[in-house]
Amino acid sequence: MIEKKITDDIGILILDNPPQNYLLEPEFIPVSELRKWLEENHLKALVIAGSGRHFSGGANLDSIYTMAEAVDPMEGRMEKGKELLNYLEDLNIPVAAAISGVCFGGGLEIALACHIRICSENALFAFPETNQGLMPGLGGTFRLGERLSLQDSLKMILGGDMINAEEALLLKVVDTIVKNEEPLPYTLHFLRKITEGRPLKIINYVMQTLQNIKRLPPEESMREETRMFCDLARIESDRRKTNTQ
Amino acid sequence: MTNKTINTLSFTLTDGIGHLEMCKPPGNQMTAEFFSEFNEMVDELRGLKGLKAIVISSKGRHFSSGADLEELLEQAVITGDINHPEMNENWNIISERNYRSFLFFEETEIPVIAAIRGVCIGSAFELALFSHFRFCGEDAVFGLPETTFNLMPGLGGVRKIAALSGQAKAIELVLKGNTFGSEEAQQNHLVDRIVPRRKVVEFSVAFARKVMKNYKKQKAPFYLRQIPLDEPFFD
Repeated sequence: MIEKKITDDIGILILDNPPQNYLLEPEFIPVSELRKWLEENHLKALVIAGSGRHFSGGANLDSIYTMAEAVDPMEGRMEKGKELLNYLEDLNIPVAAAISGVCFGGGLEIALACHIRICSENALFAFPETNQGLMPGLGGTFRLGERLSLQDSLKMILGGDMINAEEALLLKVVDTIVKNEEPLPYTLHFLRKITEGRPLKIINYVMQTLQNIKRLPPEESMREETRMFCDLARIESDRRKTNTQ
Repeated sequence: MTNKTINTLSFTLTDGIGHLEMCKPPGNQMTAEFFSEFNEMVDELRGLKGLKAIVISSKGRHFSSGADLEELLEQAVITGDINHPEMNENWNIISERNYRSFLFFEETEIPVIAAIRGVCIGSAFELALFSHFRFCGEDAVFGLPETTFNLMPGLGGVRKIAALSGQAKAIELVLKGNTFGSEEAQQNHLVDRIVPRRKVVEFSVAFARKVMKNYKKQKAPFYLRQIPLDEPFFD
């Protein structure tokens, strides 16, 4: 269901359930497994992509209805899915979604939890849940609402409207459009360019600074930034001293 | 205070417009001396009567090449000795004080305009980002190269770029640390207008004059950016 790969200190998670790469479980990879893998390999960036032509069509309806009827409480499994997306969003390394083709429902919720979204010209985005008497369940309403006007969010979430790559770029749902077939190679190239030669600590601090803006009061976030900057300056001056000795 | 010239900075107040100029060309480097004078100057600007707009620019070809890296690291060695925790504390206080001076420009209720020619990188770019408007010449060069020196921008630049250009662009520009020209800066909403190099300061002062009267009422940057700057401004 999930394939993990590493290239040049960049981790790749492939949603591997073609053709639509339906998610069988909201927590598509256990947080503990993902954390262990990232830490053990000192990964500097993470990409999420779909296998084949599509990113992900989200949850398949049958599996949702089965889950709703299961003895194992559905709320708990949804919570785990949300925890996974929060974990991705809070990571102190860049997390990018490389999106081809269909990016619907739970698939779009995963993409919205990433820091960077790069899609192909033929990518399509939608929250079709309300057409089926449901609603997005993994924080997608919240994350989309953060970037879009209420009007545009409602059109997508309540209206179930599908948007294409260009509309997604205009609405800032995606950051960059690339040619078909190219999202994954382009994303890897992009991440390599920004992480190559950068110590993990600097990547972590820059990402932490960006996270702090959203999570801490301005005063505290400013103090944290100063602390991290001073820490790096000391490390660098120590390094220079050692080099000249 | 109306007019004041110190070693690295000068300030003139004309018809309500305060012109703050860095005057250590060609690089206008932000040395420890600069920051110390700059902080004092900013303290005098706080609550200065009759000040209705601020234009920040520099003498010579360049805005500023930012902080003096060697000096900064030297300072970190002196004050960063692990055996002297008080000293550690000290240096954090200095950095925070610089940060607070930058914040003044963001938080003040009067319009602040950065008039940028030539190089504007590192902490100098961060200072420009704390202004409400940035006008630059075609020749302007921007960038936050700190990560290429194993450091990071430390005076709020990451936050300002994220707000103006979005999170993805901020990650790219800060981690890559590359420099870029005026057009790319404008595409990423990091400058508001590109104007002929020789006219940047004149233009910024004229803009200040135009917006300072009703800035409080209409300070939404969106509104101000709609003003057609091609109109005869120099009336």
